[in-house]
Amino acid sequence: MIAGRRSSFRRNRLYVAGLSPAALLLALFFVGPALWALFSSFTNSALVGIDAANPRFVGFDNYVRLFHDPDFAQVILNSVVFVIGSAVIGQFVLGLALALLLDHAERRRFRARSFVYFAVLLAWVNPTIIAGFLWVAMFDFYSGSLNVALGHLGLGPVDWFGQAPMLSVIIVNTWRGTAFVMLIFLGALQTIPSDIYEAARVDGASAFRRFWDHTLPMLRPIAALTLLSVTMATFGTFILIQALTNGGPALQTEVIALYAFHQAFEAYAIGYGSTIAVVMLSLNLAFAIVFLRWSRARA
Amino acid sequence: MKAKTGTPVAGPATAAAGEAPLVRRPEKRAGWLEWLAVHFVFLIVCAFFLVPFLWLLSAAFDAKATAYIQWPVAPTLMNFAHLFTDYDFGRVLFNSLFVAIATMILVVFAVALAGYSLSRLDFRRKDWITYGVLLLQTMPISATMVPIYGLARQLGLRNSYLGLVLISAAIELPFLVWLMKGFFDSIPRHLEEAAWLDGRTRLRALFEIVLPLAGPGLGIAAGLSFLSAWAEVLLVIILIDTQDLTTVPLAFYQAMRTQGGYTEVQYGVIAAMAVLYILPVMVVFFGARRFMVRGLMNSTRGL
Repeated sequence: MIAGRRSSFRRNRLYVAGLSPAALLLALFFVGPALWALFSSFTNSALVGIDAANPRFVGFDNYVRLFHDPDFAQVILNSVVFVIGSAVIGQFVLGLALALLLDHAERRRFRARSFVYFAVLLAWVNPTIIAGFLWVAMFDFYSGSLNVALGHLGLGPVDWFGQAPMLSVIIVNTWRGTAFVMLIFLGALQTIPSDIYEAARVDGASAFRRFWDHTLPMLRPIAALTLLSVTMATFGTFILIQALTNGGPALQTEVIALYAFHQAFEAYAIGYGSTIAVVMLSLNLAFAIVFLRWSRARA
Repeated sequence: MKAKTGTPVAGPATAAAGEAPLVRRPEKRAGWLEWLAVHFVFLIVCAFFLVPFLWLLSAAFDAKATAYIQWPVAPTLMNFAHLFTDYDFGRVLFNSLFVAIATMILVVFAVALAGYSLSRLDFRRKDWITYGVLLLQTMPISATMVPIYGLARQLGLRNSYLGLVLISAAIELPFLVWLMKGFFDSIPRHLEEAAWLDGRTRLRALFEIVLPLAGPGLGIAAGLSFLSAWAEVLLVIILIDTQDLTTVPLAFYQAMRTQGGYTEVQYGVIAAMAVLYILPVMVVFFGARRFMVRGLMNSTRGL
């Protein structure tokens, strides 16, 4: 047994060495920050002032404060609304609809489909902060393209970021992220053999029944994974909202990542910001474990 | 960059990713009503997704750009010239290129070794490592921004090329290690074993036999790590606050944020900056779409 172990070590020695540069970087900048956040969440560490030089250990104070913080309750609510609005309703539903439309267009050999496909992808491949900039201009109150267009239709200008900030950021995130869902479902739809449809058509099934009885059940397993995946990604949204509204007006679009950032760098409370980061990481870990289980079960 | 290089289904998100078109029989021809309906929807979808980009292009080349999309009133290249005179953009471009290239080199080195080792490693709990790498991949930078800031400050890695390169490389690793492991898995072991029998050392066998075969995978890793280091904005926001080390995304972020308020927004200049920022991304997008899409599908970062 011992000999077996030793030979296993000798066999793998070089491979362990080969793993070490990557392992070192991952330990330092993934595990490191997670542990740092955990440690720091038990201190009153600050960016400036006395507590910056000598952070004190404060036990669970930050966590107690967090769960009594009305702003945090608002932030969680915002995050949930943002995820449901932009990931579930926006990206997922629109992405699925576009995939079905483009798949249908492919069967019909409509040429314009690849142009539409590129248009949707274009919004997604670019850095997210670009989406923020483009839509700051689109939503501009006086001269933004949207309000000018509404003006031509005889409709009053809308103060997008003032009156409907959450809706605005949801629209932009839908614009940015729909392509991902569309790509996944286009891939899945192409694995469905057309024989099934032909058989169903021979049987006289309507288009709707064919979709409901055949297409949808075949998409269901991948749909669950996709939904979880976009939920995780959307839950971590930071730069998009930071660029569009900076969380405002008031706290109306402040989601959890922004709150951690603002507490740490604008209220200078590093300890409290770390506490929020720990909560966020824990929720993300829970999502990730479920996700990996599901994708393993599929594999 | 062929799609059919036996690439693994990489990362958790791509269970059905890929765009390989299946040969399918077309259905009977559409009626004109259906043609009209589908193309009407196409028009709306294209308007929604393309108008912001058309605005970007028109604003970047317009001396009198506003937030409204219009054919340039005063076509000009001055917006781009202003970048170099007012924003020290030559320096900014250099910083971005330097960081992206250094990150790329470091990432390729680390993932080539780690992917190969993880593929050939032979012990019972090996899938735990893979599982752990996947878990790390789902960790969003937006959640670790505050601790990365704190850690980098304590390690003296803020405001330095070294820190930016190390951390940019680290956040690219989980997905690319996983991707490369798949590439090496598809290279049969007996090739390198034969090389060992010929008397080559393991390292020579790796460099002379295995790595050339993994070329396409290394190319993908290089391209993706360059692009994401080029585009990465969250890290530079927390790591860099000196003018000398400003990169393109940081310059763009700052230009965006300092505009507005009581001053008139210089849409033209910022749009010009945005055009330069997305230029490499566009080149890859139109040149090697499959490879870019594959990379992005697996990345939940930088949102």
